[in-house]
Amino acid sequence: MEAEASPAQPGALGRREGRASLRTTMSANPGLVAAGIVLAIAVALIATQGLQPVAQTGLNGLISGSYFALGAVGLTLVYGTLKLVNFAHGDLLTFGAYTAFVANITLGLPILLAVLAAIVVTAALGVFTERVMWRPMRAKGAGLLQLLLMTLGLAFVIRYAIQFVAGTAPRTLDVDVTSSVGFLGLRIGQTQLVVMLAGFAVLIGVGVMLRSTSLGRQMRALSDNFDLAEVSGIDTDRVVMATWIFAAGLAGLAGVLYTSSIGTMTPNLGFFLLLTLFAAVILGGIGNAYGALAGGVLLGLAQEWSTLLVDARWKLAVGFLVLILVLIVRPQGLFGRKERL
Amino acid sequence: MTEPLLEVSDVAKQFGGIRAVDGASFDVERGSITALIGPNGAGKTTLFNIVTGFERGDRGTIVLDGERIDRRPPHTIARRRMVRTFQITKALSAMPVIDNMALAAPDQPGEHLTGLLLRAPVARRREKEVRERAHELLEVFGLSDKAEEYAGTLSGGQRKLLELARALMVEPRLVLLDEPMAGVNPSLGRRLLDHMHELCERDGVTFLFIEHDMDVVMAHSDKVVVMAQGATIASGPPAQVRSDQAVIDAYLGAQVKA
Amino acid sequence: MTWAPFLALSFEAFGSLDFWIGAMTLAGIYAIFTLGLQLNVGFTGVINFGQAGFMAIGAYTMGILVADVGLSLWLALPIATLVTMAAGLLIGLPSLRLRADYFAIVTIAFSEIIRYVAQNARGLTGGNQGLLGFDSQWIDVSNAVQDGLAPVGLEDQFLAPLLIVTWLTLLVLATALRYLQGTPWGRVLRAVREDEDAVRALGKNAFAYKLQSIAIAAALGAVAGYFLALNLAFLNPNSFEPLYTFIGYAILILGGLASFFGVIVGSVVVYTLLEATRFLELPLSASQVAALRFVVVGLVLILLVAFRPQGIFGKRQEMVLGD
Ligand SMILES: Nc1ncnc2c1ncn2[C@@H]1O[C@H](COP(=O)(O)OP(=O)(O)OP(=O)(O)O)[C@@H](O)[C@H]1O
Ligand SMILES: [Mg+2]
Repeated sequence: MEAEASPAQPGALGRREGRASLRTTMSANPGLVAAGIVLAIAVALIATQGLQPVAQTGLNGLISGSYFALGAVGLTLVYGTLKLVNFAHGDLLTFGAYTAFVANITLGLPILLAVLAAIVVTAALGVFTERVMWRPMRAKGAGLLQLLLMTLGLAFVIRYAIQFVAGTAPRTLDVDVTSSVGFLGLRIGQTQLVVMLAGFAVLIGVGVMLRSTSLGRQMRALSDNFDLAEVSGIDTDRVVMATWIFAAGLAGLAGVLYTSSIGTMTPNLGFFLLLTLFAAVILGGIGNAYGALAGGVLLGLAQEWSTLLVDARWKLAVGFLVLILVLIVRPQGLFGRKERL
Repeated sequence: MTEPLLEVSDVAKQFGGIRAVDGASFDVERGSITALIGPNGAGKTTLFNIVTGFERGDRGTIVLDGERIDRRPPHTIARRRMVRTFQITKALSAMPVIDNMALAAPDQPGEHLTGLLLRAPVARRREKEVRERAHELLEVFGLSDKAEEYAGTLSGGQRKLLELARALMVEPRLVLLDEPMAGVNPSLGRRLLDHMHELCERDGVTFLFIEHDMDVVMAHSDKVVVMAQGATIASGPPAQVRSDQAVIDAYLGAQVKA
Repeated sequence: MTWAPFLALSFEAFGSLDFWIGAMTLAGIYAIFTLGLQLNVGFTGVINFGQAGFMAIGAYTMGILVADVGLSLWLALPIATLVTMAAGLLIGLPSLRLRADYFAIVTIAFSEIIRYVAQNARGLTGGNQGLLGFDSQWIDVSNAVQDGLAPVGLEDQFLAPLLIVTWLTLLVLATALRYLQGTPWGRVLRAVREDEDAVRALGKNAFAYKLQSIAIAAALGAVAGYFLALNLAFLNPNSFEPLYTFIGYAILILGGLASFFGVIVGSVVVYTLLEATRFLELPLSASQVAALRFVVVGLVLILLVAFRPQGIFGKRQEMVLGD
């Protein structure tokens, strides 16, 4: 970025000033920088690969980006609010997917009701773990490692309990996975289109809710600085509960959207997604809700666009690579403040 | 007079919008005891952090014994025999007191894997010396009977003493103490001060300490440096600083605000 | 359901030599694996979630050097160990400066990348088909040892030599680590675990010690990887899932933090139980039994961490979990 901008500056002195101001602009508007980078990558890809494949993979990226973002926002809020790196968060997605399966297939309810059931039941599981595990452990003053290992244990319990009941065979929901719609030379599965639209609708709703309701603002404040929020009179208990409902409910939804979009579910789907969600969270700056939303979408794009350059089987590794690169280059993430680290 | 041991010039540090240190300059003479005072939040601890490399200053220079040390990592600064203690003590609670002490000793080849392999006898001999020295110092600070206890079992005041004793294990030329007397009972505190004087006079160790108790500052320092709102506003012999109008204003101002 | 056949069968299993040799070989392998975690977590305060990745690097490097490059196994072992240590340094250099929870995430991502490479770089690793043909030199040694076991009546147990070599290695390594931990070097490590700033203020390069800790743990992972490879006689990416790192943590917490010999006991307990469940005659499918095992592992981990964080042998005062 710097190299592109500097030749435009006249003298050596001017160039240095230009750099300094560019740098401050960059750190002041990380969102713009991110958008710029994405645009630059898109342009470069279009130039080398042609418009159609870039647009098609970009569309696919937005589909997966929508459920990545929904999964990541809960993970980041739970981290920010409770300093809990929740390795069981991915398994909440699995839990949501299988809840929808039970409602939709076992009980024969319509898919919309099944989605609702997934959200509600997963949110209830989130609240349950808060009550039974996390609140008592906080009261004991548990350390980082202690909590980390408990989330691992919980992840095992959820994942393998699901496997115990449902087996390892792939399951499908009663959604249309074959028909697709075409427009402007692009193709998208009908269900995938619904997933993407629903995903982004919820994302926007979440963004609005975090910005303009008092509960949302409190959740962000608490995620930003728990102690400060506590002394400034926020009812932390209520907000913590709301955070769990919110985080787990969205995870449940993300699980269903993921399953609908790719067609099947297996008990380890959430664990597969977990590291991608972590990547989104860290890319966006850990604890930063908007950052996680943006990070999720960016990762979706990165994964799908990578298929233009390398074999699709490396898609998941892209997420891990982004994660490691971000931590090395800008550990506070795109939107995080430096002081955090 | 020879050049100062430590020269701090125009150091500044900003945290977000807060100017924690904003143009701090002072010297510490060799073999002296210098007190650093100032109202709460004046930036004293932050200045210590910058001088010892734990925090990177935004500007300014720090010279130790004729050599620039700003921007160096803390452990290389400590190896130049400038050692500090922390305002909030950092006793290593899950290690015995004696291990806390032995840890601090310099020049232990046994601290490196290669040294363990190739210089095992030297390491063993050094360890013996280190332990003897540690016991001597614990004796001075009244912690002898706690040598084998986990440091976590010590009281707050005892931890302060342990931290000072541990700093002395580094065989320092310059010791920076962040409120060493806070929470220490008066008789132990007196002992601590006596020991500081003894080390200064006998071994030529230089001290820079942060202290809020004016009686202690006036009675025990050769020179006083006063900070307010990030800047050093006065420095000189205790008697002179006491009557300095800027200092009086700074303290009164702080009290009025509080 | 009647309990009689179930009890009979499980007693029979516990009485059989095959069962114990198999289970104890695994226990030995994962004890070596977990010694690395103990060094990192229990003695340095570095949360390494990528131990399975180091195990994979060691095992695959050894396998590729022998089967594809044609190197002697005895030469491949030290080379693979050095490669794995270099990988440890490579991942540690940029990320050990980060906060502990970030490091945990980086290392698990790293170990997943390694597994992806093992799965997808088929030309090199054989992908999911696996990698074979690296153990002929070991089999020669193993046969010789097996013949030597005739006087004690173990000449029919072709896995007995591996068991013996694994456990000898384990004991040597545990003893060496325990010795190291009592040296001034180990003292700095423990101090780093507690408070890096205090250590740096005393003139020690805390970062360098964390790097050494991770490099040694990587080497221990590699050694465990060699024994696993010889035990299975082939390499498959599934053997290096993060799951195994987490089982390592269950072993670690069970045996107690900051105790190398606790690791051995923890591993024996965990692998005896895990292997014994294979013999349970429950009215369940194989996949259900497998699932049940890990539900139990998860529950044990949660309950131990919550109620006995110092494990069975950990010292309460040295308990680093609760800080
Ligand atoms: N890491 C930090 N981030 C943000 N602000 C900081 C940080 N460290 C210090 N400050 C701020 O800098 C100012 C100076 O703090 P400092 O601890 O240096 O004061 P002090 O003189 O040591 O006070 P005291 O006598 O109470 O110990 C304070 O306003 C403090 O809030
Ligand atoms: Mg202070």
